Amino acid sequence: MKARKSEIKVITGNAAAAYGAMLCRPDVVASYPITPQTEVVEQLSRFHADGILDAEMVEVEGENSAMNIVAAATIAGGRAFTATSSWGLAFMYDAVLQAAGFRAPVVMANVNREMPGILAVSSGQQDMISTRDSGWIQMVVENCQEILDSIIMAFRLAEDIEIQLPVMVNYDGFYLSFLAEAVEIPAREDVDQFLAPLKLQPERSKLDPGRPLGCGTHGILIGFMELRYKHCAALERAKQKLDEIDREFGEFFGRSYGGQIEEYRTEDAEIVVLTSGSATGTARTVIDAKRAEGLKVGLIKLRMFRPFPRERLTRALKGKKAVGVLDRSVCFGWNCGPMYMELRALAPDIGFIPMMSFIDGMANMDITIPHIERAIDDIYAASQGKPYQEVTWIPLEE
Amino acid sequence: MVQKAKKLPRVFDYFHNEDQFAGGLAFCAGCPLELTLRILSKVLGRETVIVGTPSCSAPVLYGQNIGTWHRLPYYSCLMTGVASSATGLVRYYRKIGKDVNVVCFTGDGCAADVGFQPLSGAAERNEPFIYICYDNEGYMNTGIQRSSTTPFGAATTTTPVGVAGRGKGTSAKNLPLIIAMHRVSYVATATLSHTEDFIKKLLKAEEKRKEGFVYIHVFIPCAVGWGIESDSTIQVSRMAVRTNYFPLWEAENGKFRLTHTVATPRPITEYTKLIRKFRHLTEEELARLQEEVNSNFAFLRHLTEFGTSGTPKTG
Repeated sequence: MKARKSEIKVITGNAAAAYGAMLCRPDVVASYPITPQTEVVEQLSRFHADGILDAEMVEVEGENSAMNIVAAATIAGGRAFTATSSWGLAFMYDAVLQAAGFRAPVVMANVNREMPGILAVSSGQQDMISTRDSGWIQMVVENCQEILDSIIMAFRLAEDIEIQLPVMVNYDGFYLSFLAEAVEIPAREDVDQFLAPLKLQPERSKLDPGRPLGCGTHGILIGFMELRYKHCAALERAKQKLDEIDREFGEFFGRSYGGQIEEYRTEDAEIVVLTSGSATGTARTVIDAKRAEGLKVGLIKLRMFRPFPRERLTRALKGKKAVGVLDRSVCFGWNCGPMYMELRALAPDIGFIPMMSFIDGMANMDITIPHIERAIDDIYAASQGKPYQEVTWIPLEE
Repeated sequence: MVQKAKKLPRVFDYFHNEDQFAGGLAFCAGCPLELTLRILSKVLGRETVIVGTPSCSAPVLYGQNIGTWHRLPYYSCLMTGVASSATGLVRYYRKIGKDVNVVCFTGDGCAADVGFQPLSGAAERNEPFIYICYDNEGYMNTGIQRSSTTPFGAATTTTPVGVAGRGKGTSAKNLPLIIAMHRVSYVATATLSHTEDFIKKLLKAEEKRKEGFVYIHVFIPCAVGWGIESDSTIQVSRMAVRTNYFPLWEAENGKFRLTHTVATPRPITEYTKLIRKFRHLTEEELARLQEEVNSNFAFLRHLTEFGTSGTPKTG
């Protein structure tokens, strides 16, 4: 079956997020404005005012309330959406953890912005990294179209009876939030049809008046451990589930993103660069140029950061000679990029090849073509057995 | 021997629903919380969802793992999230056309302190649910620390009395008045010495929540934390009313009314002498407390007069 119709509009990443959410017909929307996410809230409010979005809109007094509202609404049985960024994510942190523990299938757009410390109103992925151990599913996307599509996929993933976990769809603030691109907006009936399989599943248990069900009881000892075990198992299942949903999305809408990771010219590659988010587009251009020069280099876009796509990455990187990871944030206490650090944990599976961390793009530093070229040159040198530097802060070494 | 059935006291006439709580709840001996919850469930019935937080009521309401002491649907959240979680529930129920009593049941530490912002936000948005704050004037569950409703002079574990310490140095926050200033649908104060008054307010709350936000502030003396005998918590409640320390009032759509008037208020010392947390207070300090009681009550009086002459409209 194929999607019947769509409409192409030039819209920003934030508008794409709002369109994605609106098309999924959430019952409850609660979101507090923060730069660079504000337009998502405005756009959703506009949809509501225009009668396009039939949802309970809660004009909240802070992000903490926004997260509690959407989590509770999903526990009552509804579909709920919120969006935030950086300090907003920090302000809802307790509720973020609680939503995961409650297995509340919330979908949240997080527009990546720098934090902590110096109040940088600029792009960076540190906000999302600060919640990597929250028990959420975390996706990172590359462009405006992927934002819209991934939010639709995120609802399928979050509400799946085998998953029932909150999903955070991350995209770069400023670079994507305010970038206008041509985006294909699917028809609402088509999105309904894509989400329809959820209705055929057994009903999620929900907090229903008249039924003695408690949510968030005091779990101790074996009772708590069992819930934690099940939570981890659901995260494991989410990996393959995203691959399936992505494939189905591709068959239906004609666009797919590889599921957990997207591989670009990796098949015969000897060295690989791993990126995430909007920098991937630039990296693709560089890969093509380097390929033209005869260098066997490939690219992996990390689309799912939590759960970490261990199996897919291992398969993709096995037999390669060297790999470098481009991070837009740091792993405090390890002095390297967090995605790099996670990849290093796969060394016993992949093989002990040179692995290199490249830190770039903080606080609106552009990740430019020369920056990526430099990274690829370094990775190539390492693959040839030359001594290499493990961690490079690219802009500081120019 | 067959006895002639006695006429039941009036409060029982209001109980149209089965008690949803098991016998022998895990509250401290003499704590009025048990009575409060039983009355709540017997008045509001089973079509009620309780939202609560870690607090004195949590052991009973949360239960442990899959066991609990009651049969009401229950959503437990963190202290910062009670009013917002209730918003999420009630908005979804409204979306699907379900009329449900969503009731927040939480202590003063949550309502007046760490969960105050969401409470104020929900009140301002006039969210259609009932928020019950049981005020035991401090963080009793964690071991009797001061909260912002702890009264002036009271000894707590974080405002201890010693060579330099004289108990809490500042006055209590008047939370019900603050919430009333949000112009919500209904605000009331209640305590268990005046049970019928409390029940009537609960019934009114059930009606008024259909129009918007309802807040009930229930005064709950804490036997352990305040240093009173476990059999005298209700007496202490009564004395709090008789001294005008805790006046019983309601504000319906901004219209204030005393629901119980005290002809000759007793001096505050008749209240404080029952409670160990005030035992160290000097005459001057007691005079300050008396002054606070007087001015708070005078302020409330003004509000009731204002309400009858020109009623402000609610949004």
